[in-house]
Amino acid sequence: MALTPLRGRVAYIFDEVNFDVDQIVGVKNIKITDVEELAKLAMQPYDPDFAAKVKPGDLLVGAGNFGYGHPHYPPMKAMRHLGIAGVIAESFSPGYWRGEISMGFPQVSCPGILGFVQRWDELEVDWTTHTIRNVTQGTTIAFEPPPQSDAEMIEAGGLVPYLKRQAAEQRERKGSEHVQGA
Amino acid sequence: MGYTITEKILARAAGLPAVRAGQDIKAKPDFVLAYDFPGYTDVYFKTMKEDFGIERVAEPERFGIFIDHMVPTATAKEEELHINTRTWCAENNVPLFERRGIGHQVACEVGYATPGAFAVHFDGHVSQLGTFGTLAIGLRRNVLEAFVSDTVSLRVPHTVRVNLHGSLRPGVMARDVFHHLVRVLGPSSCRFQVLEIGGPAAAAMSTEGLQTITGLAMFTGALTAIVNPDPVRLDYALPRARKRLDPVSSDPDAEYSAVHEVDLSALEPIVVVPPTPADTRDLTDFLGLDIQAGYLGSCASGRLEDMRVAARILGGRQVKGGVSLHIIPTSQELMAAAAREGLISTLVEAGAFVSSPSCDYCFGRIATMTANQRAVSTGTLNVRGRMGSPDSEIYLCNAAVVAASAIEGRIADPRPYL
Repeated sequence: MALTPLRGRVAYIFDEVNFDVDQIVGVKNIKITDVEELAKLAMQPYDPDFAAKVKPGDLLVGAGNFGYGHPHYPPMKAMRHLGIAGVIAESFSPGYWRGEISMGFPQVSCPGILGFVQRWDELEVDWTTHTIRNVTQGTTIAFEPPPQSDAEMIEAGGLVPYLKRQAAEQRERKGSEHVQGA
Repeated sequence: MGYTITEKILARAAGLPAVRAGQDIKAKPDFVLAYDFPGYTDVYFKTMKEDFGIERVAEPERFGIFIDHMVPTATAKEEELHINTRTWCAENNVPLFERRGIGHQVACEVGYATPGAFAVHFDGHVSQLGTFGTLAIGLRRNVLEAFVSDTVSLRVPHTVRVNLHGSLRPGVMARDVFHHLVRVLGPSSCRFQVLEIGGPAAAAMSTEGLQTITGLAMFTGALTAIVNPDPVRLDYALPRARKRLDPVSSDPDAEYSAVHEVDLSALEPIVVVPPTPADTRDLTDFLGLDIQAGYLGSCASGRLEDMRVAARILGGRQVKGGVSLHIIPTSQELMAAAAREGLISTLVEAGAFVSSPSCDYCFGRIATMTANQRAVSTGTLNVRGRMGSPDSEIYLCNAAVVAASAIEGRIADPRPYL
């Protein structure tokens, strides 16, 4: 697995359990499709200057069962547009997890993360050792390795490129079987 | 150590002698289900052709497509989506179930709930097929994998076993049981796992009640829910089954990540207060809150026992002026049965608006609520904006509470009416 390590600051900590991600852009804005507009609305209730503070590569941190409820895609589309490179949470709600992994958006399940970081700490996520290093504090914590197919989907950049890669591999296997058979 | 029903079903679907929870596998779904919805089926059909060069599906009998949202259509664009779906199904020879009712219920009626089968959908409420010993998982967009290849990649889930005990008191329904489980076990208790329902109270429960409980499993964090099918469920499911499979059940020594014994004999009616399905409370603490809307329907509720209790409460009474009560049977089969029993006339005479099956009431496409309105609802969900304005409120409850509240124009206790 050749996943690129994530390196960035903790741009925000959502400490509410069962956090409904739709709140990030507000439910009344959930049908907006223009990502620029979504990005302007994002995080208004939490930190109105968020867009100005965030840098490409920054990460979000969440509490337990992050993404519970009926998650939609626009909030994290807006976050990616602002440069957010991934989400690390104590644990994730499966629907949200699947949805964002299928977008190729890295999600890291890490029990203990809330006690491990302060806002704006610099983190490094290492997919080979399954650890997160808090560069600011000089500490390390282990995270739960994702299922193989999820890791491959992140690496491929989302569901469709992942499935295309699989289809190509299958064709290759069939091709070599055919050669052997002949 | 024995195997869970989930492990047995997935072992067969993966073509392996055995699998264990935690194992990453590729499994071939017996059934691939979907309802047409913008951004889902239209995208799959296009992606299959354009990105994967698939003009026709190889085994059309494995598929099942439902038209249950945007029924009836309100715009030309919605009708175009349905036309696209009809065309794809006809070209591919894939079974299409249009206007028969909410797909998850219709799927049970037409035999996709084959005991022992593995089914996938994008929508997680498909879990209700678990009532009949079918492992049915909602994969969100990842269900595309099942449209473009034979198999889906997944990690075999662990199982949380819940044994239900005791009998329900009057006015308490399966709907209360499910939300009670969320309350006592927690909204993340079954995260990424299967919720396996058993015990004497599950065996005694109606099939409709089990469909309610299994259909809502996602709000415990579960990937799906399943029941080891007993003769009652098999009598329903086997004659309808679309595939010849041996029903399977968990071994007595199967390994569970947790086993919970839940006594239902003291359970009281509940409400789930907005804006999250995680917040189960006692009905009695919310009595008297004024309401403007009532909804009895959805894939979770809206079956015969729900309509029966509503008819019993509403019979000879009237819905209060200013309250919109919508009663939408889950499927045409159920609606026809309700008509034969005389339930429909009772509900209509009481002032309920009764309409043919549709998903649209549950997500506010019709009967849309405006700011500062409040509903009692048997819909699936109470998040902000689910039934219209983000500033409206949805209190989830059982069908009896909806009926009693519609009479009084405020959240009401159904028990005095029973």
